Amino acid sequence: MTAAVEFQSVSRHFGPVKAVDSVDLTIAEGAFFAMLGPSGSGKTTCLRLISGFETPTGGAIRIFGEDVSATPPHLRNVNTVFQDYALFPHMNVRDNVAYGLMVKGMGRAARLARAEEMLALVKLDGYGDRKPAQLSGGQRQRVALARALVNEPRVLLLDEPLGALDLKLREAMQDELKALQHRLGITFIFVTHDQHEALSMADSLAVFNEGRIAQIGTPAEIYDRPATRFVADFVGSSNVLPPDLTRALGGPAQWASLRPENTRLAASGPVTGTVTALRYLGSGTRVVLDLGGTEVAALLPAGQPLPEPGAALSIAFDPAALHVMGDAA
Amino acid sequence: MHSDRASLGLRIAAVAGLAFLHLPILLIFLYAFTTEERTYAFPPPGLTTQWFAVAWSRPDIWDALLLSLQVAAVATVLAMILGTLVAAAMSRARFFGREQISLLVLLPIALPGVITGIALRSAFGIMDIPFSTWTIILGHATFCIVIVYNNAVARFRRLSGGVMEASADLGANAFQTFRYVLLPNLGTALLAGGMLAFALSFDEVIVTTFTAGQQATLPIWMLEELIRPRQRPVTNVVAMVVFAATFLPILIAYYLTRNGQELAGSGK
Amino acid sequence: MSREAIFPARGPADRLTAAFWRHPRLLLGLLLTPPLLWLGVVYLGSLAALLLQSFYSIDEFSGMVVPEFTLKTYAELLRPSNYDVILRTLLMSAAVTLGCAVIAFPIAYYAARFARGRLKALFYLGVMLPLWSSYLVKVYAWKLILAKEGIITWAAESTHTSGILNAILALPVIGGNSLSTSYVGMFLVFTYVWLPYMILPMQAALERVPTSMLEASQDLGATRAQTFRTVILPLALPGVIAGSIFTFSLTMGDYIIPQIVGNSANFIGMAVYQLQGTAGNIPLAAAFAVVPILIMLVYLTLARRAGAFDAL
Repeated sequence: MTAAVEFQSVSRHFGPVKAVDSVDLTIAEGAFFAMLGPSGSGKTTCLRLISGFETPTGGAIRIFGEDVSATPPHLRNVNTVFQDYALFPHMNVRDNVAYGLMVKGMGRAARLARAEEMLALVKLDGYGDRKPAQLSGGQRQRVALARALVNEPRVLLLDEPLGALDLKLREAMQDELKALQHRLGITFIFVTHDQHEALSMADSLAVFNEGRIAQIGTPAEIYDRPATRFVADFVGSSNVLPPDLTRALGGPAQWASLRPENTRLAASGPVTGTVTALRYLGSGTRVVLDLGGTEVAALLPAGQPLPEPGAALSIAFDPAALHVMGDAA
Repeated sequence: MHSDRASLGLRIAAVAGLAFLHLPILLIFLYAFTTEERTYAFPPPGLTTQWFAVAWSRPDIWDALLLSLQVAAVATVLAMILGTLVAAAMSRARFFGREQISLLVLLPIALPGVITGIALRSAFGIMDIPFSTWTIILGHATFCIVIVYNNAVARFRRLSGGVMEASADLGANAFQTFRYVLLPNLGTALLAGGMLAFALSFDEVIVTTFTAGQQATLPIWMLEELIRPRQRPVTNVVAMVVFAATFLPILIAYYLTRNGQELAGSGK
Repeated sequence: MSREAIFPARGPADRLTAAFWRHPRLLLGLLLTPPLLWLGVVYLGSLAALLLQSFYSIDEFSGMVVPEFTLKTYAELLRPSNYDVILRTLLMSAAVTLGCAVIAFPIAYYAARFARGRLKALFYLGVMLPLWSSYLVKVYAWKLILAKEGIITWAAESTHTSGILNAILALPVIGGNSLSTSYVGMFLVFTYVWLPYMILPMQAALERVPTSMLEASQDLGATRAQTFRTVILPLALPGVIAGSIFTFSLTMGDYIIPQIVGNSANFIGMAVYQLQGTAGNIPLAAAFAVVPILIMLVYLTLARRAGAFDAL
């Protein structure tokens, strides 16, 4: 099976700034793929390289096996849901949705009928005559989604699709996007800076840092076995242990990560430190210890007795929970 | 809130200021009907409509009016094309020389008209270009570009760059994007710019005196009457017509761009 | 629809779009070439021609232009009669700018702070219409008003205030036979014609003063007058400077109003017009024209430093 999107040492440099630097990436057909990273990490530039609004300064991009280096955006069978939706303000919702079909030459009656079907799919039946300015943020996003999907693209790109929505709407939309992708079988690629969103929606993801990919894998792999200190820290705020501390705790002399939820407090142990902070989280309490200059957090389930700040304690954990990482930052 | 009411003094000064701006223009309408032929006597000794008929039958006025309309129409079309092109280029990504180009567009209107006028005249002289309708149009189009440009660039700025990308993303080529997205959003701003450019050109006298040679546009005709009054009542009628001919395009332009503030500060 | 990853180009429009996409400078160049040719060749070329002529001189016997580089013509500007023209023009420009600022302030302040909804639209239109309406018609209207037999004389007689009018006209230098042949009359016409150019930038600057800042000033115990002097005026200043760019430059370059109203004293614009026309002394006319250009360049540099460009 050919990959939906393939990057072969792709770079996009803006003068001295390496927005994307020699990235290799393969996204399988039918995947729900996330690009996760802080702002400025290159994830959005990667999305724009796929849609064609940026051109690589090095390397090659293939979409379903075809090199797209000479293909302008309008001839790529790829559509985008823009972050600010970018709906056409002078057209009503129906004409917005039918736009892609119109410019490809479909007749008026046929394309408007298709637009209505698409609006029904995103649960906006009856909104066809409204102008974008008359819609709420969530409704606008559905229009943007319908407008992209009506073209039946082979790849759908979503730029921070849930960023502008409030929490409740965001959770509902996560489920809906997932269901829609499952039903249509189109490859979805979305960009986000929110690790919860990426972990819960994607079936595989790439974590970006400073123009490069730090790790690619399934959400479970990335969460449980972060490849670098950056991934461990950015995805789920793991404890990052320097080599000497890892060895003192019984591991090899290498960088390692340890999830707070796998960490317990112990009265004594190989390394003792002092409790510096307690944070009540509802489902539990996060206790932070200073272990010889390294901050290590342990998540105590609700109901356990809490230590006093300043108390001298150590930590304990199941050796299998200690994940040893390479040397990479 | 207690401070949200203007003091009486401020209100009087503001209303008096507005009245100062408008009363002189209203006077023109009154004088068009005066029976007094030789002086500007106020109040008019009597009222008549005979000067409209007199003005109507004057071929020199018709010639000047036709020339003015012709010049304004051609200059407006040229300014609309050139002004839109600059605005479109400026709306794109930053490029070298951007600041210089916006200054260049502004210059013909920022410098006093007499300078634009004499500059064009000395250039025509050096290159041995004889004065004609085209030399007038050349000057008018030059200072009208900035009017169209100002209107268009403001609209480009409000139109988020995203919609142009969205159009390409959905499969439209550059020409389809221009026709279906850009033009409908830019249309009213361009029309308003065109209206203002027309009004400006129709009314312009300073540059025109340097580029017209022996031909007389309507403002030139009026200027001669102002310096050496011969037919005061006819001039009164022409002044009223000129005022009406510029008033309408301005009003239309205002309604076209009401939601933005594109007219403000565009400078004449 | 189609299951291909790339659509074929449908015709020349698609291929041209692809070329624009591959070479973004191509489209930029196509857009900029016509206007730059026009402005660069027609306008800058003309200005260069003007500048060139100002360095030529005129042969005093034949009256012909001598196309040789010289600073003689510029030296002529410093002759008392020519120097007076420049000084008189600058004084009038400054007076008109001041007059416009004083009259414009209440209008701009009221429109920016108190007018809402329809009233605000009315104020806006009330300034826009006079700004754009015919310059000549406005000047003509003032010829009617200022005439000896005109409305002002009539109004003074009807209200028995002719004495005041005559006293103003009797003033040395700025008075005259009638309003239409005095500096006072010329000042009035200039102020009237350029007033809207002062109101708009001033209003724009005042609208940028947040109400919360005025409340803060009052909250801190300032009286209305103190708030006005210490908060509103300094914040309105960039607008005043922006407006003054217009009123100053427009007055300096005008040659029609001094020709129609006033005591036929010469102004820069008039000097340029007469020198190139009847006198045929193009080099001196060009040198005269360079004066307002230089003054405006200095003025614009100072204004930019005062932050006035943000109010434009």
